Amino acid sequence: MASPFSGVLQLTDLDDFIGPSQDCIKPMKVDKRSGSGVAKIHIEDDGSYFQVTQDGGTRKLEKAKISLDDCLACSGCVTSAETVLITQQSHEELRKVIDANKTAAPGQQRLVVVSVSPQSRASLAAQFGLNPTDTARKLTAFFKKIGVHYVFDTSFSRNFSLLESQREFVQRFRGQADSQQALPVLASACPGWICYAEKTHGSFLIPYLSTVRSPQQVMGSLVKDFFAQQQHLTPDRIYHVTVMPCYDKKLEASRPDFFSQDYQTRDVDCVVTTGEVFKLLEEEGVSLSELEPAPLDSLQVRVRPVAGLSAHRGGQVHDLANGQCTDGHQSCPKLDTRLSSPNRCSSVSAQEPSSHRGGGSGGYLEHVFQHAARELFGIHVDEITYRPLRNKDFQEVTLEKEGQIVLHFAAAYGFRNIQNLVQKLKRGRCPYHYVEVMACPAGCLNGGGQLKAPSTPGKELLQRVETLYSMVRTEAPEDAPGIQELYRCWLQGEGSERAGRLLHTSYHAVEKASSSLGIRW
Amino acid sequence: MKDSLVLLARVPAHPDSRCWFLAWNPAGTLLASCGGDRRVRIWGTEGDSWICKSVLSEGHQRTVRKVAWSPCGNYLASASFDATTCIWKKNQDDFECVTTLEGHENEVKSVAWAPSGNLLATCSRDKSVWVWEVDEEDEYECVSVLNSHTQDVKHVVWHPSQELLASASYDDTVKLYREEEDDWVCYATLEGHESTVWSLAFDPSGQRLASCSDDRTVRIWRQYLPNNEQGVACSGSDPSWKCICTLSGFHSRTIYDVAWCQLTGALATACGDDAIRVFEEDPSSDPQQPTFSLTAHLPQAHSQDVNCVAWNPKEQGLLASCSDDGEVAFWKYQRPEGI
Repeated sequence: MASPFSGVLQLTDLDDFIGPSQDCIKPMKVDKRSGSGVAKIHIEDDGSYFQVTQDGGTRKLEKAKISLDDCLACSGCVTSAETVLITQQSHEELRKVIDANKTAAPGQQRLVVVSVSPQSRASLAAQFGLNPTDTARKLTAFFKKIGVHYVFDTSFSRNFSLLESQREFVQRFRGQADSQQALPVLASACPGWICYAEKTHGSFLIPYLSTVRSPQQVMGSLVKDFFAQQQHLTPDRIYHVTVMPCYDKKLEASRPDFFSQDYQTRDVDCVVTTGEVFKLLEEEGVSLSELEPAPLDSLQVRVRPVAGLSAHRGGQVHDLANGQCTDGHQSCPKLDTRLSSPNRCSSVSAQEPSSHRGGGSGGYLEHVFQHAARELFGIHVDEITYRPLRNKDFQEVTLEKEGQIVLHFAAAYGFRNIQNLVQKLKRGRCPYHYVEVMACPAGCLNGGGQLKAPSTPGKELLQRVETLYSMVRTEAPEDAPGIQELYRCWLQGEGSERAGRLLHTSYHAVEKASSSLGIRW
Repeated sequence: MKDSLVLLARVPAHPDSRCWFLAWNPAGTLLASCGGDRRVRIWGTEGDSWICKSVLSEGHQRTVRKVAWSPCGNYLASASFDATTCIWKKNQDDFECVTTLEGHENEVKSVAWAPSGNLLATCSRDKSVWVWEVDEEDEYECVSVLNSHTQDVKHVVWHPSQELLASASYDDTVKLYREEEDDWVCYATLEGHESTVWSLAFDPSGQRLASCSDDRTVRIWRQYLPNNEQGVACSGSDPSWKCICTLSGFHSRTIYDVAWCQLTGALATACGDDAIRVFEEDPSSDPQQPTFSLTAHLPQAHSQDVNCVAWNPKEQGLLASCSDDGEVAFWKYQRPEGI
């Protein structure tokens, strides 16, 4: 079977097997029992192991289990044996949680939230011959039908990723005199690239990486912090699933940085790929195209006046976009969110999905470039011209002022271009200020978790997915409804400690264990 | 038959170590050897004897597994277990390391230059094959990373005249690659060997490819273009490759290397049973089902495994070999009469 991971991760041994010359260095906890030293091991037909003691008694032996976190923390072999993925991050796991809800005692159920990436939506749209809006609505209908409570769109959390990337870049550009490692800023939304950077170039590359959380992990903050508070639930009472175009996202969700020790819960509990959603549809015997569309959920934030105001206004609902939240030194009125359900909210904007400019990998380069041109050089850039270099997955964008190149950006997709970028950096010959790095050739719409169509050639299908993706109405992240209000009320302002904690992350070099293996050939 | 392979000289090329691989420069005047001592040595003649002209010792931290000369003869590439490939520029008798290619996750197993000299291929235990492009300023950029093999890739070799690449692997297969748009793709997988494929060699025309394996056989594969007279099925515009001959029963251990003489068409093998063998195609046999005869067999060519055999590109019948015993030997091959 071909590996589901991006090529980058295949190269970092992630898809390697534990071969004869490679030992898993992760210690296993073995539950030792006292008794006589002699025993036989008997293997059943189904492959299970039984220990047979001298008196004839048998005991089933446990299998050793390696979790994704073990693999991420390890510098030895990393196994991607399907079982590792299945035990923690699969559509089976989602199903288990939904089934458990059905039989759980009242008050013991978990609120199930699914956040769908716009790339996955475009892939499903292509598969079912639907437009993106219908796909979003029908997907919402499907998830609700099987027992999911809320369905979000990670385009919403991407507003934060983009705004934070813009702010970070301008800050680092201005500080480049103070630090040799301020530039280039390397985008960090792609988990395959991050894993590769940490494992193979650790301390060298990490200072350059953008500290901004990816849309998936900002969504994690929104759901497990903001939304949980609004629902009066502790984070562990919410089961948060994301639908992603990429297997590597499962690894990202498993990072210890996104685990809450206090509540023993992850910001994103489970990542399923577009392909796994398709499998789920098949298993449920549902064709997406035949479902009745459901209204879209969106994070609408309602403002409840602080205590002491007249009671009859207490339940009044405001769309956060209209900004009822007071600004300034005083604390905000208490916020409440409800996901718009048909009878509760009639907001028109929430009835179709929205997206961002700048291509299927999130538009980081484009947003940062336009913002930086304006902020740093007072230049308004309308259209961005990409200049392909050696191949179509390595493109450059420049900003000139008085005949001088003042901004030099690049998009580098796929492992070969990552490789050339890293080598340029190592040799001190990297001319770029910002690079949008993605592990997959052609970017996220071509992610390893996307649907394949046996009857359609890959390139044709990708083009169709790209067209569907770009059909969605785009908006500037600073203008997206609710964003400014969330900065003020949830995050306590731009650049605050809270914003740093909830919208940024950090990286950790994985030290290679020096290999003492005597490889002969 | 024994007289058909005569020892000319023997040198302790990599004493107290293994000698892994040999490469003749295109002019046939210099032989590069590499070994477990992390060194590359350059051999040339002075009178009748072979002497070491240069030692390239400052490039690698671990075993140097293979070496390859550029088609112009001015550059030498060395692939090492330290995960890097060094490019050495020749300046009279001196060699200077001008670039170190990094990127492979672990041991680089082989390196080969395309006939144009603009492309270089490397392969590694990390299961990948990389294609690099060279510009005028000796800058190398990776143009493709090919993850077609499922195991350690042992060897890469270019077609003698076209930009086609072949690789051999521990996954028992041989794969062929060509350029498509701005990337490279695997267009054929040759299956048949029952164990690791160790080495590959194209015949002078490039129409046939020889592979040797741990399964103790040599297989000869032939290229069939679309709409060929023989009716061999092809997919699309890509040629198809078919095994037309298997040399089995001749070797008692792993065959580590196979070399197809570009001047005479003689096929030499290096074997784990310490022997060197030479085969020649029977001129009267059917080109679609050729038969080969063993024309030379030297059982104790070396005191340990023979790792490599290399025909001189200019002097007919001059064969070099090297071994785990650290030695390089030079042989004169004479086709026996009556063949």
